[in-house]
Amino acid sequence: MTAVIQTQQLAKYYGKRRGLESLDLEVRAGEIYGFLGPNGAGKTTTIRLLLDLLRPTGGTATVLGADPHAGGAALRRRLGYLPGDFVVDGGQTGRELLTHLGHLRGGVPRERIDGIADRLELDLKARIRSLSKGNRQKIGLVQAFMHEPELLILDEPTSGLDPLLQQTFLEMVREAKAAGQTVFMSSHVLSEVQHSADRVGIIRDGRMVAVEAVETLRRRSVRHVEIHFDNPVAPDAFVGLPGVSEVRVDGSVLRCRLAGRADGLVKMAARYPVESILVAEPDLEELFFTYYHANGEAREEATDAA
Amino acid sequence: MLRSVFGKSLWDQRRGIAVWSVAIAAVGVLYAAFYPSMNNPDMQAAMDAFPPELLEALGMTDITSAAGYLGSTTYGILGPILMIIFAGGLGVRAVAGDEEAGRMDVLLAHPVERWAVVLQRAAAMVVAIAVACVVLFLAMLAATGPAQLEDIGAANFAATTLQMGLLGLVFGSLGLAVGALTGSRGIAWGAVALVAVLSYLANTLGPTVDWLEWTQSASAFFYYSGGRPLANGLQVTDALVLVAMAVALVAIAILAFRRRDVAV
Repeated sequence: MTAVIQTQQLAKYYGKRRGLESLDLEVRAGEIYGFLGPNGAGKTTTIRLLLDLLRPTGGTATVLGADPHAGGAALRRRLGYLPGDFVVDGGQTGRELLTHLGHLRGGVPRERIDGIADRLELDLKARIRSLSKGNRQKIGLVQAFMHEPELLILDEPTSGLDPLLQQTFLEMVREAKAAGQTVFMSSHVLSEVQHSADRVGIIRDGRMVAVEAVETLRRRSVRHVEIHFDNPVAPDAFVGLPGVSEVRVDGSVLRCRLAGRADGLVKMAARYPVESILVAEPDLEELFFTYYHANGEAREEATDAA
Repeated sequence: MLRSVFGKSLWDQRRGIAVWSVAIAAVGVLYAAFYPSMNNPDMQAAMDAFPPELLEALGMTDITSAAGYLGSTTYGILGPILMIIFAGGLGVRAVAGDEEAGRMDVLLAHPVERWAVVLQRAAAMVVAIAVACVVLFLAMLAATGPAQLEDIGAANFAATTLQMGLLGLVFGSLGLAVGALTGSRGIAWGAVALVAVLSYLANTLGPTVDWLEWTQSASAFFYYSGGRPLANGLQVTDALVLVAMAVALVAIAILAFRRRDVAV
């Protein structure tokens, strides 16, 4: 598979202040790539470097096979970009802005603009300054998606959107993937990437800490298990089972953490009358903090996975 | 209007352009309305009592002729100041204002080159200034009869208004260039104000001090009013010098903006 975005030791310093330390990033054609990290890790810096809004102080980047600067307008024609902070002149209506931006892209059919706007329940007749933050963000989404670009670069795309619209957004992203478009989106909220991304890259202090398929992350991740029995049970039977840790028994309720296969735990539980079992979805948030806090170990794990 | 950065820029600023054009023309007509009361021997005698250097410094020589009066009022200080503030605002907003407000990211992520953004906004600034000049010219033409300004004539009004527009363009381009260099609206405005004041002083006071005499030839005001276009008609060389200054500043703006990071 060819790389749509590739950076090697990409670095950006603002004077002495770090924006990006040394980033190696590879986004493959047709995938949804979640770019995760806490605020200040360098996500926005990376994205603005890819768009030639910033000029790197070191390393290289290619986007759709071209250097962001050398690629110029011809390259940006093939991109859709949603800035982390979508700001436009508030005196105009959404219609005016989107028509103008469509013209800059060589013309976007009005029906397509209307289609996306309807889907997001966005009123294009209102002046932008009169809109809520969420509605402004919708305008940002429309201008990023409307020309069906080969590559979508979205910086914190769901900020300000209510949960229902976040679902709509995720549908749009999946449809983009189905249509062969590549999506590169940043977030500091893992749950919003978890359900759509194929792969996730975790950035910390200006470096890539880990890159993994979401599936692998999920498989390797720790689940929280809660088993309700008919009668009180003794914790001893469950302590020491393969993959099981942090066993706590509260009367007839057993809570523990489970890593990897569930076989040992299930077979042991089957010896008692079981009323119900709750398994909490593996949470990337937890994994993220594993990577984020235990830097050294995380690096090794990342190399194993690669 | 929404097809290009140039058209969009004018469209977005249409109200401001209209208000400024009317305001500048209104100032011109109001001053002109006072001319008949200045045009009498008593006033001339009163003016003769002042030292000529002072009158020169205030731009108030020959205040009883129509050209002398308007050259020290509408076209002397207030007109050029308003034109410079109007044009300066256009120039500063074109890059630094947009950038400081965080509006540049969306535009530059589209298939437009940075030089084209600067050039198209500079072109929009030229058109906006031209509109203000045409409105002022028409207003002065309409005031000619009632205000007894027949001595000046349409050609000289047109010439002076054009040169004043070019003066504004120089300072608008300065705001554009400094804004493109720094990305700071405050610094760009500061540069416009500072250079405008220094240029004005260099033109009026420079010639009265031996070792500052040379500064007059560096002043944009000198190329605006030095040839007295109200009395003598279009000063082609002066106008071309102003155009050259503006072109050089826009070129600096383009080169500067292409090279640097865009602020969020």
